Amino acid sequence: MHRYWLLSIVLVMITCSIQAQKYNLIIKGGHVIDPKNNVNEVMDVAISDGKIARVAKKIDAEQGEQIVDAKGMYVTPGLIDMHGHYFHGTVPDRYLSNSFTALAPDGFTFRSGVTTTVDAGGAGWKNFSLFKEQVIDRSQTRVLAFINIVGSGMRGVVPYEQNLNDMDPKMTSLVAKQFSEIVGVKIGHYRGQEWEPYQYAVEAGELADIPVMVDLGGTDPALPLDIMFSNVLRPGDILTHMYGGTTSGHGPKEGPLDEDNHLREHWIEAQDRGLIFDVGHGGGSFFYDIAVSATQQGLWPNTISTDLHTGSMNSGMKTMLNVVSKMMNLGMSLQEVILASTWKPAQVIQRENLGHLSEGAVADIALFTLHKGDFGFLDSRKHLYPGDSKLETELTIREGKVVWDLNGIAAPRWDE
Amino acid sequence: MQKISLIVFSVLFLVIVTVQAQEYSIVIKGGHVIDPKNSIDEIMDVAINDGKIARVAKVIDAKGAQQVVDAKGMIVTPGLIDIHGHVFFGTEHGNYLSNSFVALPPDGFTFRNGVTTIVDCGGAGWKSFPTFKKNVIENSKTRVLSFLNIVGEGMRGGAYEQNTSDMDAKLTASVANSNRQDIVGFKVAHFNGPEWTPVDRAVEAGELANMPVIIDFGGNNPPLSIEELFMEHLRPGDIYTHAYSELSGRESGRESIVDVNTGKLRSFVVKARERGIIFDVGYGGASFDYRVALPAAESGFYPTTISTDLHTGSMNASMKGLLNVMSTFLTMGMDLTSVITASTWSPAQAIQREELGHLSEGAVADITLLNIREGEFGFKDKNGYKLTGNQKLECEMTLREGRIVYDLNGIATPVIVR
Repeated sequence: MHRYWLLSIVLVMITCSIQAQKYNLIIKGGHVIDPKNNVNEVMDVAISDGKIARVAKKIDAEQGEQIVDAKGMYVTPGLIDMHGHYFHGTVPDRYLSNSFTALAPDGFTFRSGVTTTVDAGGAGWKNFSLFKEQVIDRSQTRVLAFINIVGSGMRGVVPYEQNLNDMDPKMTSLVAKQFSEIVGVKIGHYRGQEWEPYQYAVEAGELADIPVMVDLGGTDPALPLDIMFSNVLRPGDILTHMYGGTTSGHGPKEGPLDEDNHLREHWIEAQDRGLIFDVGHGGGSFFYDIAVSATQQGLWPNTISTDLHTGSMNSGMKTMLNVVSKMMNLGMSLQEVILASTWKPAQVIQRENLGHLSEGAVADIALFTLHKGDFGFLDSRKHLYPGDSKLETELTIREGKVVWDLNGIAAPRWDE
Repeated sequence: MQKISLIVFSVLFLVIVTVQAQEYSIVIKGGHVIDPKNSIDEIMDVAINDGKIARVAKVIDAKGAQQVVDAKGMIVTPGLIDIHGHVFFGTEHGNYLSNSFVALPPDGFTFRNGVTTIVDCGGAGWKSFPTFKKNVIENSKTRVLSFLNIVGEGMRGGAYEQNTSDMDAKLTASVANSNRQDIVGFKVAHFNGPEWTPVDRAVEAGELANMPVIIDFGGNNPPLSIEELFMEHLRPGDIYTHAYSELSGRESGRESIVDVNTGKLRSFVVKARERGIIFDVGYGGASFDYRVALPAAESGFYPTTISTDLHTGSMNASMKGLLNVMSTFLTMGMDLTSVITASTWSPAQAIQREELGHLSEGAVADITLLNIREGEFGFKDKNGYKLTGNQKLECEMTLREGRIVYDLNGIATPVIVR
């Protein structure tokens, strides 16, 4: 009988020590914002095996191999930036397709809390495999892609991106179905009155069952977007550069405001019907005179994104978090900006396994501090908009691993 | 007659005033200027014209300047110089830091850290320098210079860097001599073995081109003597990078400047500095260890030059950016002026570019505006151990050749000249 006692004590001890190592990491005391799951309060988050193991009011610190004290911080799903340019390379004169204007993602993502990024059309069906090998397979960031409807991708606005003969819906959709990283079709920078480029992109999108992202080029007269919104694009398709100007390249394009600065009704109607409006800040696509007026009249972004490339990284755009902070200072709540940079883009790119902190989901997590003070934000004309709120990334976790730790909150003291 | 004189006089006066008023493109007002070369450490205005420093004075009238920058509460320094980075980015497979994926294009990491000049530390050798020039130097807004690797193939990694028959002092020096606007010295790196050949060849190239060498000392079992390196092989002005590394326990090891068992700075290190050896941080992914850095700091031994060793392995690790490394040294007790000296005028002297790293009138207007943020901050070493501090440097604005290339909060008025 005594023996059984001993045995059970040993068994309990073994169970306890297993218990003590139950989680790899526990983030304690942070304010969790997880829009998909309607979580918006102080919670603990436990991670095991690269996945969210538990989200609860209190998780015993004893159960974690590592503890991160997140008191005073916000804990969110890893951000998803669905408009960037990452097809970096050294081939001269290839713009955003294996050339110098695009950037390797990892130096820009993690420090902004971004764990998933989507290349917006750098590669077309002809060079996607190179993009996969050169960028996707070599990045710690999860890199996904909108494949360009132009077979050779964003090789240059003129002439490559104007080549209607290189827009093949069938080939584009075939390659889109071949690579799991392709989440949509991009049509960008087209300068002309034809609807065909947009129709081809939608046709490819239909064939591969993925959305289309439109970056409107300039043409004189501007393409009437009421027609595009109702006759060409589908609910779930995306118009990026939503607060951009009324010219692009060599000609006019329709912006959200009419000549009297009134929000065009068909924009709001299109958004109500399910068209996605994306920020796509970039180097020349975010103007406060448009954004302030459009937001005041009710046009808010569904998704917040950077349009990161060498021309935007050091200008008004800077980083994903700077763009997110801008939208907060324009009047979006913290919950709204987090939704527009986590769960919403995940839905738009049909990756509903991302952008939330449900138990069992991949542990892509960001921790932010919200600073209050006097900050300035610049637009693409370098007009200044003063603000009092700015987010800073404290910690970024990708698949359960700490990939950015600004102040060493996940690190032991040097003398311990 | 009087009336005419009055009119003429008024017109002349107006012309003079207008000329005066348009004298400056940018005036930076009210910042605390730290310009170590010129021993300036006080609140001053700085005026810029034609891409050059036009004037530094107590009060400069900004009326009519195209742009005025309110620098109240900020530190104004010469544009920072990072003499150890890896910016020979490219897409050659398996080429490590030479035209490959581990190196980074500079502009996304420099300007937001106040850096206006970065030196690629040995990515290119004499064979690959033309590609480096075309792909990196000519495609960057940052001023990019180069320590040419003594290995002709550059930092291609693995066996390439062990190839003593590809270490040709004459050819390396001759490429340096014909590219003196871009090349500032020679690099030795990652050599494993008991031979002094790489160091001696690099010094030979340095003699031929009259340029310094920078040593990343590699390893051997038993480790080669760094005392012998400092006192017998290197010349005054040569640079020892990764000065705070601790690799003594390795199979192929390197001696440290501190005896980690006793926590004492090795006695010959101070003598080496007196001899003119330059101690560079080269923080990197695995080259900054508190077990060396803290005892060294306690002995009052601080680096001559502060640098990043930027590459994909360091950018998101403890290193992060030059300002983070500088803030780490502030936290370790190095005073602000010394930290700025070690990242402006001292590196300019080390690479023999004395036209850089200061705010003398007539100098190129590479300027950095910094904030000192107060709060609770943590700084990690390569082992992930943390030191806590209450100050951190943040870049508010960077100017390169008189142009604003980074403006965190839009502090110029108007923000842009139309």
